[in-house]
Amino acid sequence: MEDLFEQLIYGLTLGSMYAMVAAGLALMFGVVRLINFAHGEFFMLGAYAFWFAYRVLGLPYPVAGVAATLSMGLFGIAYQQTIIRVILHRSWHVQLIATLATSIVLTNLAMIVFGTQAKEVPTALASRILEIGGLRIAWHRLLVLAACPLVFVALWWFVHRTKPGKAMRAMSQNREACAVVGVDIERVALWTFALGTLLAGGAAALVTPLYNIFPDMGALLTLKAFAAVIVGGFGYVKGAVAAAFLIGITESLAAGYVSYAYKDAIAFVVMVLVLLLRPQGLFGRRLGI
Amino acid sequence: MRPVRWTAGLLLLVAAPWIVTELVPNQQRYILHVLIFTALYGALALSYDLVVGHVGSLSLAHPAFFGIGAYGSALLGTEAGWPFALALPAGIALAALAALAVGVPMFRLTEHSFAMGTLGVALVTQIVATNWVDVTRGPLCVTGIPKPQVGALRIVTLPGFYWMALAAVALVALLYHALTTFRLGRAFHAVRDNEALAASAAVDPLKYRMLAFAIAAAVAGGVGALYVSYVGVLCPGELAVSLTVNLLVMIFLGGVGSLRGVLIGAAAFTALPELLRMAPTWRMVIYGLLLLVVVIRAPDGLDALLRRRVAASR
Repeated sequence: MEDLFEQLIYGLTLGSMYAMVAAGLALMFGVVRLINFAHGEFFMLGAYAFWFAYRVLGLPYPVAGVAATLSMGLFGIAYQQTIIRVILHRSWHVQLIATLATSIVLTNLAMIVFGTQAKEVPTALASRILEIGGLRIAWHRLLVLAACPLVFVALWWFVHRTKPGKAMRAMSQNREACAVVGVDIERVALWTFALGTLLAGGAAALVTPLYNIFPDMGALLTLKAFAAVIVGGFGYVKGAVAAAFLIGITESLAAGYVSYAYKDAIAFVVMVLVLLLRPQGLFGRRLGI
Repeated sequence: MRPVRWTAGLLLLVAAPWIVTELVPNQQRYILHVLIFTALYGALALSYDLVVGHVGSLSLAHPAFFGIGAYGSALLGTEAGWPFALALPAGIALAALAALAVGVPMFRLTEHSFAMGTLGVALVTQIVATNWVDVTRGPLCVTGIPKPQVGALRIVTLPGFYWMALAAVALVALLYHALTTFRLGRAFHAVRDNEALAASAAVDPLKYRMLAFAIAAAVAGGVGALYVSYVGVLCPGELAVSLTVNLLVMIFLGGVGSLRGVLIGAAAFTALPELLRMAPTWRMVIYGLLLLVVVIRAPDGLDALLRRRVAASR
């Protein structure tokens, strides 16, 4: 029984990480209609940024986490200004291949700079264990589980209550109409990419102390996050978040009770099953993010 | 004039091993090795372009079919002791069957989702190849894959493998030309350019996409079987996503949907790293940047540049 409960906690932490990454991907797809194949690599870069701030510079955990997150936000702005701006109005073929090429460049640059050996960044909280009955949970997992809802409340507030957020929602519903009434499409794209990358960086800063980091961790993460975006109903952020938790829990239970080696294949199988049974996604197709 | 040039070119290609031996005797093995890789990559890139360039579906599952053909024929050759003449067609058939099985759910997806779904197929295939140790030996790799033998003809020397690879790429080029030129080619292009219009003219998009997908997978499986018979070893790393990136660089560098362009792309792609002589990771960084620049600045590739140059000089 404790075992099942532990697996569920693992699944929820994994789900929190997938949800933050998938939310960024869903935002980008929902608002700009562009699939960012390099999104998993943004998480990877965020993890290395955190490693650098925490291990190399020796900053305390909260400072290092915020620094890594913010530096990823800046990276997102740079990415939008250099690559996305050029491909924003091109065909989806060009967009997809350009972002795929970016992901390959980032992965291999990371291999050159950081080496292929996995890195660990355990914090004090990650090694301190909370024991309730027979149940053992690292305090850091509880931190992740507590912080994740806060991140999503902040995201909800930004998208619904601020001007750039409202523009993002408007653009997700009708890009042409937005352009007609004078919404600056480029600017909304900039906000979207900054926000999406910030989410990936924040997820990395939160969960990196629990997992190993290595340069080619991005590809599988992009796939799982995209699986969540598809299962949740294409660019519908709440759907993607719910689906990400579903995938995280399924993966964790599969790793614990079925086969650890094949856990990464599970997200994909879930995605295919949903596509076959409900091609519109679990929650139906929605208008807007 | 044209038939003369064609015959001369063909003779040159067939005589390449002798020419290389005469001109650069001390580097002969190395150059032949590069030429074999060029020919095999050319054949693989042509098969990939059937799907990407002619029916317009951006599949990322090609390494999976290459791998299924490679593992199928390698394991049948080593574990079951099948002769090459049976293992090769078995590898081809396995890859085609896999494509038919995967294609049914995948073609329910469009555009990005199709690309992502097929990327999933490639990743899962690699995960299975790595973890199904009882069958594939996982990271220990399949070793001692027998050299090709058909009847009394046994291919062991480098020139022999070169001619085998040359015959393979010639065969695939003929197939590519036949499939993309006549009535079938027009149907492929109709599906690529306007799916709804094609469907309304009784050209079933799904049927033609599946056809191109399955044929491309069969060819990829065949190339995989030839590749392992040449290299003799097969590891799960061969099925990595980077293979797709290599193929994308080749077809976009050369020219999507053009026989000559894809072959030029494959030749440029395999020659380039030999000229640059770089570490593999730096190589991938450069390929990635190259792909980025080409797809943004010159999405029609080298072939279109060449054609424009020729047209301008006339």
